[in-house]
Amino acid sequence: MEEVIREQYSEQEKQSIFNKEFMPHINSMYNFAYRLTLDPDDAKDLLQDTYLKAYRFIDSFQQGTNAKAWLFRILKNSFINDYRKKSKEPSKVDYQEVESYYNSEDVDRQITPDLRVEALQDMIGDEISVALNSLDVDFRTVIILCDLEGFKYEEMAKILDIPIGTVRSRLHRARNLLKEKLSEYAKKMGYKNA
Amino acid sequence: MNSPDLSKMKQDCSNSKECLEMLQMILDGEATTQQKEHFLKEHLEQCMPCYKNYHLEVAIRELLKTKCTSHAPQELVDNIRKQVSQKLAS
Ligand SMILES: [Zn+2]
Repeated sequence: MEEVIREQYSEQEKQSIFNKEFMPHINSMYNFAYRLTLDPDDAKDLLQDTYLKAYRFIDSFQQGTNAKAWLFRILKNSFINDYRKKSKEPSKVDYQEVESYYNSEDVDRQITPDLRVEALQDMIGDEISVALNSLDVDFRTVIILCDLEGFKYEEMAKILDIPIGTVRSRLHRARNLLKEKLSEYAKKMGYKNA
Repeated sequence: MNSPDLSKMKQDCSNSKECLEMLQMILDGEATTQQKEHFLKEHLEQCMPCYKNYHLEVAIRELLKTKCTSHAPQELVDNIRKQVSQKLAS
């Protein structure tokens, strides 16, 4: 934690902070853990570790600051330190493909002329969930933080320890990749219906 | 946003990359009021690709919100509460 200030909460205050500020975010936190690890058992362990850690370091949480962002940052760091290696990362080939894509100029081209709102409305199953999970974890993360959890760019920068400019460009690329996946599904569905 | 006259809209966007970035900033709540008004009034209502993109971006966000959230298993929630209250008691 970067905060130098440390509170000295009483047991009662700790309990109150934990219940009123930390527990209300447990569903969002579970979803984040699950989307990072892509494994229900790892997600449970990661969530539990994170909440116990949050409790242990509760004195470095300042009341009145954003508890959700604070918790998400702990979860993200726990994931990187303890889970990233054993989680189901995309295979090496996929990863290299993503990396070269990440670094190419091509990502900025207009890539989804054929994805239409109507096609999205046909995606009543888990297509979008599968598409999101198939993205590289860094891209997946920014979409979760922004589009699902509504964090501001500045909060995301703090949670991820990256500059705001990187948040913005990663988000832009992540959305392009997601749309590309979705238009693949749309095409497949189109063939099926034809 | 008003419903634009579709027949009078431009079919090509000369600035599509910047437009998409601005569109996303607006939807993310990160654009200033000025940027927002300027883009929505001066551009979006006259530009078909951007107008379509706007609706696509909104639809993807809605789909994400309805399809990609989940609930923590109750047993796990109870377990976390229990472990923390034991720590408090000790
Ligand atoms: Zn345009």
